[in-house]
Amino acid sequence: MKLSRKLKRILPRVQKPARYVGGEWGSTIKEKDAVDLRFGMCFPDTYEVGMSHLGSRILYGLLNAQEGVWCERVFAPWIDMETEMRQAGIPLYGLESGDSIAELDILGFTLQYELSFTNILNMLDLGGIPVRAQDRTTLKNLVVCGGPCAYNPEPLAPFVDAFQIGDGEEMMIEFTDLYRQAKREGWSKDAFLRKVCHIPGVYVPSLYDVTYHEDGTIQAVTPKHGAPAFVQKRIVQDLDSMYYPENFVVPSTEIVFDRAMVELFRGCPRGCRFCQAGHTYRPLRKKSAEVLLKQAEAVLENSGYEEISLSSLSTSDYSELPELANQLLDFCEERRVSLSLPSLRADSFSMELMERVQKVRKSGLTFAAEAGSQRLRDVINKNITEEDLIQACKYAFQGGWNNVKLYFMMGLPTETNADFDEMAQLCRNIAYCWRMNTPNRARGVKITASTSCFVPKPQTPFQWDAQATKEELDEKTAYLRTVMKTKNVTFRWHASDTSYLEGVFARGDRRTAEVLYTAWKSGCKMDGWEDCFSLDKWMDAFRACGIDPAFYANRQRPLDEVFPWDHIGCGTSKEHLKREWERSRRAEPTPSCLEKCAGCGAASLMKGCACHV
Amino acid sequence: MFKARMRFSKTEEAAYISHLDLMHCMQRIISRAHLPVWYTEGFNQHIYISIALPLSTGYSGEWEFLDFNCTADEIPADAVERMNAVCPSGISVQEMYSLENGGGRKVRDIAYSKFEITWEFDDGVPADFCEKVNDLFARDEILIMKKSKRGEKEVNIKDYIRGFSLEADTDCVRCYAILGAGNNNLSPEYLTKTLVRELPELEPDGANYHHLMVYDAELNEFR
Repeated sequence: MKLSRKLKRILPRVQKPARYVGGEWGSTIKEKDAVDLRFGMCFPDTYEVGMSHLGSRILYGLLNAQEGVWCERVFAPWIDMETEMRQAGIPLYGLESGDSIAELDILGFTLQYELSFTNILNMLDLGGIPVRAQDRTTLKNLVVCGGPCAYNPEPLAPFVDAFQIGDGEEMMIEFTDLYRQAKREGWSKDAFLRKVCHIPGVYVPSLYDVTYHEDGTIQAVTPKHGAPAFVQKRIVQDLDSMYYPENFVVPSTEIVFDRAMVELFRGCPRGCRFCQAGHTYRPLRKKSAEVLLKQAEAVLENSGYEEISLSSLSTSDYSELPELANQLLDFCEERRVSLSLPSLRADSFSMELMERVQKVRKSGLTFAAEAGSQRLRDVINKNITEEDLIQACKYAFQGGWNNVKLYFMMGLPTETNADFDEMAQLCRNIAYCWRMNTPNRARGVKITASTSCFVPKPQTPFQWDAQATKEELDEKTAYLRTVMKTKNVTFRWHASDTSYLEGVFARGDRRTAEVLYTAWKSGCKMDGWEDCFSLDKWMDAFRACGIDPAFYANRQRPLDEVFPWDHIGCGTSKEHLKREWERSRRAEPTPSCLEKCAGCGAASLMKGCACHV
Repeated sequence: MFKARMRFSKTEEAAYISHLDLMHCMQRIISRAHLPVWYTEGFNQHIYISIALPLSTGYSGEWEFLDFNCTADEIPADAVERMNAVCPSGISVQEMYSLENGGGRKVRDIAYSKFEITWEFDDGVPADFCEKVNDLFARDEILIMKKSKRGEKEVNIKDYIRGFSLEADTDCVRCYAILGAGNNNLSPEYLTKTLVRELPELEPDGANYHHLMVYDAELNEFR
């Protein structure tokens, strides 16, 4: 982008200025007078985080592949840059043109994390755009959102014109085509919204009225002006023929996940009951190894990346993984590209694969055990046994690894201190396993056990459950600290404050939007960053709006309650989620889709009603 | 295998790429261009490159050098073209040559750099700016505190300046200065600092730094 004198003057004063200038290899520049739609692909967090997001890359490539459409990238500036921009009167701009986002037709935000919601308001404001949908009266600056948090869109309802629920690849083009027609023919914004809500997967919140019971729970969500009563998510049927970018924007500065990526499959056969992605990305659809190889080679060739990662929710469940990994490795070794395989399960096959892949560099190994006892793992349906874990660790220690991380969750439904005792015992067993299996005891071992706080998410079997209160979590942490005393095991835990707020907005309704607005007005932004987060400011905002956060986070919800997101479909049916909740109380696991169909309902979205299992 | 050098420029957006990021960036350009280059052979195999006189983040430059090891018999005839086809905005390669048989000098022979400093004035250049600033830098001695990794010391800035001229425009003045580089480095920012300290009434609204040329001790163009 062309750098103005004003901008050049502030850039030397901010941290990592390369994030704010664009011009990266692979970014798309078009003639702005030659396009009829300008789209801002907005990520409500910093450049380093946003550039690591595969979904935004796909949609950026897809939109720019359309003639007459120019998609630009927009990120939230870090605090120092925002201050300088506001002082110098520089509005938030797209990294391709450098033009203010107010000049763009559609602003599309991806919702990855509840604590980035304030950044959406802040980014709009930094572009001089009214944050409330009702104050944006024309088609210009239409705000549309998608992504995981769109499965409960209600806390953002007053700010957003439309949500795209589910896979964006096909819906996005239908959406932008209609917008282009509306722009050409001079439709009003209302006319456009009443039409666009009929594109399957599109939810227009202003076309729904919400009524409440006296106790504060929802009575009904009623559509108006002919909007559909239930918005089922969109899926892409065939990943092989789906658009996938062969050109990645290659950042000129370091980002979080700085590597090429290919997507093995969408959906996850495991059904862990706490996991939102596992329930909202169904049905399982996979890409063929042949297509993946072709795409991987193209992306590496065009980007010059030195690392490629296979992306999916559960890499080990990709049926053609051995063949794919072997062929990819041949190509990668020749080009000195390293291959990374995240989300592997702790089984011996995966460990062998890891060893082949990590011939040179042995990075740490991470196992997500999630819960300390078998009982609790059955409750959450994390189908991994202590034996699996010990076997995997044994293999790893024998192979010379000496750095193992274990992830656990704290505050899970039905959890007691006995589960923590078993967690401590598991860590002891792993430390013992290292002593018995390492070829070199003198080198020592580093076992890290980290706990994070469980946040019940909408559209999961635990959506009815109460989140543990701050006091409960603090007690649990204190107890864990007394039992996690094994030599060689480092115990880490996360503060519960951000999880609490995440819990409120994950299952919040339209009334929480006012809290969001009030908190943002009082200076809350970048809430996902510890150095910016202030629970006090948020609590003030709750008080000012007369809203009790515990009502949303810490209340056990009855099974027949109407949820704010009940009119949004994630593929998996509410009946299935309810069944899963009931099974969880009996500590009854549900087999993976690969073994037995649990009848979650997502297959009905597929032609021929069959998942790719 | 032989040692080789490329001369490149880093301007506009690329001026804001830090030295470490630039190294990474150049490695990826080389990889996209399929240049026959040598990779290190350790635990983390990567393209071996070295950049002479790294620029501060925010400086632009049009006479930058990157050394690498070429694994082919000679540098491919279309190497520059291939590189330029895959560079991000603001980076371009001008030439590539072998350092064998006197093809290029050792980096330690670098003694001076030429900079273009643009002092910006939003309300027009002060009337007597050039005269006063020329007088200032014509003094025999101007003492400044120079910071280095080894600490601060007081030096005469004039010992580091081998050329100085001004060129006034409507809203800026361009200063062309030949300054010590390499072991005897002087950042061009010291010229702005000296100007502001000695003639505070002439403080510019903004300053940009552009690296123009590199010389040896005899002010021969470094190659």
